Amino acid sequence: MLCSAHQAWPIAAPQRYAPMADNETTSHSRLIERVAANQDRHAFMLLFAFFGPRVKGFMMRSGASDAYAEELAQETLLTVWRKAQTFDASRASASTWIFTIARNLRIDGLRREKLAANAQAQLDVLDLDVERPDQTLNSVERAERLRAALSGLSPDQLDLVRLSFFEDKPHPEIAKALNIPLGTVKSRLRRSMMLLREILEDLK
Amino acid sequence: MTIRHHPDIATLGSFGFGTLDKARAFVVAAHVTSCAKCKAMVRGFEETGGVVLEDLEPAPLSMGAGEAMLDMVLHGADADRRTAEPRLAEVDLRTVLSTFDEGPWRWLGPGVHYKPLTTAPAGEARLFLLKAEPGTSLPEHTHSGTELTLILRGAFSHSGGRFGPGDLEEADSSVEHQPVVDDGDVCICLVAMDGQLRLTGFMGRLLQPFVRL
Repeated sequence: MLCSAHQAWPIAAPQRYAPMADNETTSHSRLIERVAANQDRHAFMLLFAFFGPRVKGFMMRSGASDAYAEELAQETLLTVWRKAQTFDASRASASTWIFTIARNLRIDGLRREKLAANAQAQLDVLDLDVERPDQTLNSVERAERLRAALSGLSPDQLDLVRLSFFEDKPHPEIAKALNIPLGTVKSRLRRSMMLLREILEDLK
Repeated sequence: MTIRHHPDIATLGSFGFGTLDKARAFVVAAHVTSCAKCKAMVRGFEETGGVVLEDLEPAPLSMGAGEAMLDMVLHGADADRRTAEPRLAEVDLRTVLSTFDEGPWRWLGPGVHYKPLTTAPAGEARLFLLKAEPGTSLPEHTHSGTELTLILRGAFSHSGGRFGPGDLEEADSSVEHQPVVDDGDVCICLVAMDGQLRLTGFMGRLLQPFVRL
């Protein structure tokens, strides 16, 4: 099912944190593995059709213009194509892996001009080898549990999580924009992260 | 190396979501590199990111985006376009350590030297190395902004506890402390700081005009 390239992608907004079909989340991993194994372009275009618009949405929510967000989405998927061999389904789900690519591009892309060249030169990218001997759930099961936990949050709590997820302005700027004290921004961010920590610790 | 002091959960989360500024991210990455507990927590935030990404409302792509994408991967068009490493940015401490030998240490106060690693615009966190001689007692101080300090070598203590290699300390204007470096070894720290140090003791107020980090 290769989507036509001649039309915009007609994808409806998904239900928020609706449980995803098991085969859908595992199939994203399989698609990446097919790209890795034999540069399967059909598999790749399916990944592009699903993740392209979402990564673009992620970039726009983070402050990128429509055109630039699309460029960053392309670069994210281009990275998926080129680095597919380094994907390890036993260590990360497809969406976690693609999120880290998008996140790193967002860091580079949205703040490039602000970077001190010196620090950039010294930021070396190494492999994150997380060992979790006590972990009994695989990455897909963890993602499903996480999704279920997030769906149980109140709208206020979800807002908190979103604030911490998309906001890459320095805290004083958020405080100014929302007209609330700096300490309030910090304590709200902290609350949302603590909430997430509880959820994550329950996954073990 | 026993790590006792870790980044605040909010700092760790911002790092995992990629919303932490560069200087702080550098210091946190250096800590996470050697702390299994924080590494696992960061991975958890990344997993959260993956789930949020999957459920995000898609932004429609422009006409022909798929074709352009296919063309890009099949024909290697734009081969020099940047791609991102799909892994957590970690710090090669050896690279940081190698800078010890480059450039001069600058005098900051009795027994204390520093070496800037970045020149950040005003208002943004700066990254520098701090070196204090064994037994040095730093002036009592607080901060107008926030400060992340990763201990690379040696140790110091203050009212908040003892900090050794791998430990990360977070301080802001609510923290007033007077670190004392352990006897026996020089203490070297990697610091990300915005705002300025504010010296608070009597001697400190005398010295304040000279402190320009």
